[in-house]
Amino acid sequence: MLSIGVQTKNVIEDSCPEEGYVRLRGMGFNCVDFSLNCYLKNTDLYRQKRNSFFDRSAEELKEYFAPHKKAAEASGVRIHQMHMPYPVYVPGGTRTLNDYLWKEVAPKSLQICSFLECRYLVFHGFKMVRYLGSEEKEWEQTEKLIDFLAPTAKELGIVLCMENLYDGFGGHLTEGPGCSVRKAVERIDRINEKYRTEVLGFCFDTGHANLVGIDMESFLTALGSRLKVLHIHDNDGISDLHQIPFVFTKSRENAPSTDWDGFIRGLRKINFDQTLSFETAPALDAFPKALRQDALELIAKCGKYFADEICRTETVSVNNDEKSEFFS
Amino acid sequence: MELVLSPCGIVDKKRPGQGLMDIGKAGFEKLVCDLSMLFETRKPQHTWPLEYWKPERLYECFRPVLEKGKEIGLSFPVVEMPVPDTDTGGADLNGFLMTLAQEGVKACGKIGCHNFIVSPLFVGIPRDDLWNENREFFLRIAGEAREKDVTVLLKNQCRNFNGHLVRGVWCDGQEASAWVDRLNEEVGEERFGFCMDVGICNLCGQNMYDFITALGHRLRAVVLRDNDGSHDNALLPFTAVNGGALQTDWLNLIRGLRDICFDGHLILNITDTASVASPILKPGLLQYAKSVLDYFCWQIRMESMLKKYPSRVLFGAGNMCRNYMKCYGDEYPPLYTCDNDERLWNTEFCGLTVKAPEALRQLEPDTVILICNTFYREIEQQLRKMDLQNPIEYFNDEYMSSFYFDRLEREG
Repeated sequence: MLSIGVQTKNVIEDSCPEEGYVRLRGMGFNCVDFSLNCYLKNTDLYRQKRNSFFDRSAEELKEYFAPHKKAAEASGVRIHQMHMPYPVYVPGGTRTLNDYLWKEVAPKSLQICSFLECRYLVFHGFKMVRYLGSEEKEWEQTEKLIDFLAPTAKELGIVLCMENLYDGFGGHLTEGPGCSVRKAVERIDRINEKYRTEVLGFCFDTGHANLVGIDMESFLTALGSRLKVLHIHDNDGISDLHQIPFVFTKSRENAPSTDWDGFIRGLRKINFDQTLSFETAPALDAFPKALRQDALELIAKCGKYFADEICRTETVSVNNDEKSEFFS
Repeated sequence: MELVLSPCGIVDKKRPGQGLMDIGKAGFEKLVCDLSMLFETRKPQHTWPLEYWKPERLYECFRPVLEKGKEIGLSFPVVEMPVPDTDTGGADLNGFLMTLAQEGVKACGKIGCHNFIVSPLFVGIPRDDLWNENREFFLRIAGEAREKDVTVLLKNQCRNFNGHLVRGVWCDGQEASAWVDRLNEEVGEERFGFCMDVGICNLCGQNMYDFITALGHRLRAVVLRDNDGSHDNALLPFTAVNGGALQTDWLNLIRGLRDICFDGHLILNITDTASVASPILKPGLLQYAKSVLDYFCWQIRMESMLKKYPSRVLFGAGNMCRNYMKCYGDEYPPLYTCDNDERLWNTEFCGLTVKAPEALRQLEPDTVILICNTFYREIEQQLRKMDLQNPIEYFNDEYMSSFYFDRLEREG
């Protein structure tokens, strides 16, 4: 049975988390993507700045997030996935900053993840192709981080999830780490084999895939059971806008310019049974406060639509026509 | 490496004289016989003229361009099939393209051209049937291609998904390699290769280094064109910019081509840039375009330039020298570096002694002086005035195989 989730960012407040969780449950969400990255912002890190949030000890952090745990449980919402603060390495950053991100923030994220009884922790791979010369060399650095975290992840029963990311040239967004499904599959299998358990999985981000024209159906099909987590959101194929699905079109016929049918077919083919989680917090900012509730409800309804379509196994044969028109 | 230009946007097929003359005067020697010129596929409201177009007239239609071109010393080493747009589907576009391809190979024979670039058949073909349909298509032209000694180059293709251009057939380097290998296996010889369209890779935001290295020796031609990553244009490279930054990943393209020691056809396509240039400005544009194409060739062959000399010294003790030492210092070690900044003389920089330019007078005559400073022409003039007999070359660090995270900042 597919669950439906959304980011906690812009919905759940630290001052009164129970209110947000109850609200989400009432709208049809039964999961959340815990936005731990909001506590240490990437925009600050790229400017070599950081706050002191993660200076707290693991115990203090658990205490800080205890109200969230209690509120989620009480409202019947499960914390399905969590986003680790990113980046974990700032190219050209000071040694002190990068050591802090690696040795303090990342391990403490695991501890918080475990405390909140969340199974999947999404992290961003290193973006260093320009400096190191190739994606393989870039991955070597990411793998060092995985090797650093994997023993604890294994002990805590957490699956680290690598994500398909983008890079950019003059505002043109191009593929970044995790965009080659062939490499992702090989790496996930090899690392899980090494640790003799599932310590690494994949987080498929629909918006990032759309930005670089990835064929979602074949990507998801190749991932198979390695797919643990979703970041569902939409964009115009140009900017990473994190909007609600189905809103972008590029033709007078107003057909969606994101291949949502391919997304559904891919998840259906691999019998995806986890959470349809929306990474659409920025979309809420776009609406006036008076409409945010409606926007959230629409997101939940999109989730319900996706769930229904994915589970409609009897339509596979019906969709043969659709498939034959794929390239037309 | 063969440097080739696409005449689209430059040459008028009915009165080709002036365009070809401008091309020749700009220093180009080789042209693509680009069949899309005959169909004017870039005009708005274009539809495929299936009803009245006779593929067997292909050579005849292009003859004025070919004859005039040969008259002024231009050759045509590559023929390229037009790329169908899904919107112009029509009744039997694939059948038409198949006939056109067969005629295209025959035309190659008549022209004496040995490379034929072909896009896959894909309109209306289910994903699972792509291989079978295209296999039949390519095997059908392979016999004639063998007879005419023509290599068929498969070209990457994007897919139009409701107006959004996404990855299509052969956008995956490994998959494309597998197709080339399977086709070659079926015909029992190396009759098929690959042509990479940089514009398509850019539209699909691909890592071009990975794409190129996956193709390796199969990559026989590269179409250089620029665009903004969302509109399928053929602009002059380095002109798609935003906020002072390039929108195409030229770095990973050049890294990849260097890695595989690319030595095939480097084809420049500036159709859209040239189309809007005034006829008054076109000669100047073409001269600049030639410089751009030469620049790519020079960048790709950077290492072969270094290899050419038995010994070398650098001129410049800054970031470019540092980058040289990082990427080439072990394989092509310089004797020393020199600099105009007196404060640096007799100091060590990246393991090299920094000397005064006057020291260059003591060099063996075959030692090359590599200018490692962006003030190339100024420094070259300084060296020429010194009346040195040594070869002088420019080194450039814009497309290194790796970079430092930081840049050196010196005062003054």
